[in-house]
Amino acid sequence: MTFLAPWAAWFLAGIPLIVLLYLLKLKREPVQVSTLIFWQRILQENRRRALFQRLRNLLSLLLQLLIFLLILGALAKPTLGHWISSGASTVIILDTRARMQALESGNETRFEKARRWVRSTARQATAKTPIALITAGASDAVAVPFSSDEKSMNEALDRLEPGDAEGELKRAVELAHTLLAARRGQHRIVLVTDAPQPALSRAYPDLKVLSVGTPQDNVAITRLATRPLLNSVQTSEVLVEIRNFGRVPVRGTLELSLDGRLLDAKPFELAAGESKLDLFPAVPGNALRNSRGWLKAQLDVTDALALDNAAYALLPQPHPHRVLLVSKGNWFLEKLLAADPRVAFDLLTPEAFELSMASKFDAVILDQTLPETFRLGATGGNFFFLKNTPFNQDQPALDRPLITETQAEHPALRLVNLQNITIVRATPLKLPEATPDGWTFEMPIRALDHPLLVTGARKTPTGDQRLAALAFDPAESDLPLHIAFPLLMANTVHWLAGEQPVIPLAIRAGQTLALGPEQRLWPEALTPPEKPLPPPEGPWVTAFFQPQKQGYYLIAQPGQKSAWLAVNTFSEAESDLRGAAPAEPAAALLPTGFSIKSVTERPLWQALALAALLLSTLEWWLFHRRRTE
Amino acid sequence: MHPSAPIFDSAFLSKLEQLSLLSRKLFRGEHHAERKSRQTGSSLEFADFRNYTSGDDLRAVDWNIYGRLDRLVVKLFEQEQDLQIDFLIDASPSMRWQPPKARGGTLPPSKLDAACRIAASLSYIGLANLDRVNLHWFGDALRADLGLSRGKSQFHKVLDFLRTPPPPEGETRLTASVRTFTQRLKRRGLVFILSDLLDPAGYQEALDLLRHSQFEVQVIHVLDPGELRPDLSGDLRLIEVETQAALEVTAHDTLLRRYEQEVDRFLEEAAQFCLKRGIGYVRALNSVPFEDLVLRVLRDGRMLQ
Repeated sequence: MTFLAPWAAWFLAGIPLIVLLYLLKLKREPVQVSTLIFWQRILQENRRRALFQRLRNLLSLLLQLLIFLLILGALAKPTLGHWISSGASTVIILDTRARMQALESGNETRFEKARRWVRSTARQATAKTPIALITAGASDAVAVPFSSDEKSMNEALDRLEPGDAEGELKRAVELAHTLLAARRGQHRIVLVTDAPQPALSRAYPDLKVLSVGTPQDNVAITRLATRPLLNSVQTSEVLVEIRNFGRVPVRGTLELSLDGRLLDAKPFELAAGESKLDLFPAVPGNALRNSRGWLKAQLDVTDALALDNAAYALLPQPHPHRVLLVSKGNWFLEKLLAADPRVAFDLLTPEAFELSMASKFDAVILDQTLPETFRLGATGGNFFFLKNTPFNQDQPALDRPLITETQAEHPALRLVNLQNITIVRATPLKLPEATPDGWTFEMPIRALDHPLLVTGARKTPTGDQRLAALAFDPAESDLPLHIAFPLLMANTVHWLAGEQPVIPLAIRAGQTLALGPEQRLWPEALTPPEKPLPPPEGPWVTAFFQPQKQGYYLIAQPGQKSAWLAVNTFSEAESDLRGAAPAEPAAALLPTGFSIKSVTERPLWQALALAALLLSTLEWWLFHRRRTE
Repeated sequence: MHPSAPIFDSAFLSKLEQLSLLSRKLFRGEHHAERKSRQTGSSLEFADFRNYTSGDDLRAVDWNIYGRLDRLVVKLFEQEQDLQIDFLIDASPSMRWQPPKARGGTLPPSKLDAACRIAASLSYIGLANLDRVNLHWFGDALRADLGLSRGKSQFHKVLDFLRTPPPPEGETRLTASVRTFTQRLKRRGLVFILSDLLDPAGYQEALDLLRHSQFEVQVIHVLDPGELRPDLSGDLRLIEVETQAALEVTAHDTLLRRYEQEVDRFLEEAAQFCLKRGIGYVRALNSVPFEDLVLRVLRDGRMLQ
């Protein structure tokens, strides 16, 4: 047995109250009489029936408890489920994919037509012919378990709406079979969608498909992408693909807007079935101060599906790491840092450098210089020491050390190949005996027992602190001549600066996004023109998110600027509305036995409520007949 | 009975004067009166003849018989004497009980009031017939009595007595009261018991005691409709007015019907008991108009003529 409203079980806590009320002493009205002779004679006879009296009291309590339990049972809306040995169980699969938003004649969407049919069918459900409702979209869900309760079905239908994502109907049919597997009697699956499904019908002969759509013409944006220009990361180029899924040529205008302001508009003309790529070569993104980077492409056409006439994207907004190079002059390093678009570096001489400056940069590279006041654990900031490090030993330099061991899994050595590297000399390094202030050290590169690269990290109240120490001057090796050099330096600098989890700029509706451990996402899609920003406190999503609607989603990250996520449908399967077929007569899909609803097949809660009413009447009658007290 | 409440009007008194109390037995009286006695005497009512003996009053010789039969025969006349009538009036708390006042309704007088009015009426009839009348209160024991009275002039004493019942104390003990009464009275006569007979020990022994003591007993069973057909419902704590004993009941139709059956059985038993023993028995409901009660009910009960 399944309960559609299990919350009613909380009312079971009221049973002790009934027993308590029952145990309370009755307050009797005092009345003076001339004599008790006659009353005593009567009650003497009654005392002989004391056992019956006790039973009468118990009967009263049991009746009241039974009435209470029946009311609770009715509130919980039980369904007999698999106890029904005969009858027919029907699963209705309601298509909620994006294409169900297409308008049909009468200005009614395909989803609304489908919902209307489901609503009328649900009215005919009985205890022996229960109906379950499954939604088929980006993910499949049981909207209503097997029930004959029309109210719960209508409430669920009122809540449902089609998503903007594509979906696979086969999964929903399999879910329906899983639901039906545990039930006796006949099984029926009705798929309410917009087009015939010949492949599904062949694979599942018991599947009945109700098509509520008719063939429609549609034009859609099937791709919208942005990327920064190589020669100017502040400027992006935008790619838009549009396609005509209609049977006639289409003319219109493609508009591109940034943060609600129109940037460009291009007329287009597409033959039937034709697609076209358009490029907007120079979109100035970060040039606009306080820009969200909301880029929207909009087709100025009127067709059946308005959903895919708009597409959303975000201009890439790089946030380069700030790096300080303290050096008397290092041509290799300067060129390398300048070539990395993810780095914005400043150059300073060792004389001008002060340790207090370190907190203003994501990483500081100390090229063969070590301030005398530097103390591990006392100095804040992320440092990369070259040759002069806090771990130097007063020993003779290592002559031509060979790299014998590397930790390839270390972030600093990602994709770094250190084979055939010749080092002229290196400074012997030694890790401190006692690890100070929570530091954890590693030696990703070693020459036998001598570390050539030492990395350390520790947790501080303000965040992670990291350092790296290279035991040799790159100029005293042939490392700068290898591809490993820029990789090693870039990896190390970005590791020191702290790599952030990569957030994609855009995903498709229905695609699952894995959020970072401290990231939160506001689950309401925003679209231009701007909606009010979400409140700071609310039902944020963490861990995983599967967007169902197109638009922009806000991602909050502690200690960093909020990021945006663009979500689009971008599905040719959803935009191509030509495959629909005229609707079949819905009545033909109704299973036998659906048409007549007898009184005995009403929902179980009605029978429980009726029983409670009858028992209550009986108890009232017994009370007034003084059969109960 | 309220001290200042008028009991009778003059028209009703004149009606009472036409009545006399019926006594099936003939009792020896002390004074000439208007009631027959077993003795022959000087009234105008012829009784019998007997042979003349020396010393008889010659005025009583029937000379006509002497002329025809030549025998001296004396005419005897009935002796009309008075009758002693005692009223035992129950003044226990149950006689003063009145049912809870019905909403918007009026209550009849208490059973004690009704008993006093009946006793007053019957006393007046007795006094008017020159009988000797005495009234006694009883409850848990025999209480004060009026003292013998004779003649209508004593009626005000009767009324004064009835206006001052003793305080209600204890439960009804009819047998003990009657035993004291029989021991105290040497002369037998007519005894009226005005009571609700609600003695837990029963009324039977008391009535038998009176009967065996050669009294002619008349029982006037005073009742209140509120105790015959109580208007009760719901969960109640019944408190007896005499003993303050309590009993918890839940009044409902079935229980009330059984109560009424029990009361009817009690009344029927009382009537049968009296009938079998030649005791006059009349039920006097205090809700019946007083004149009807005296002039019709008591007459129908063969207590008046």
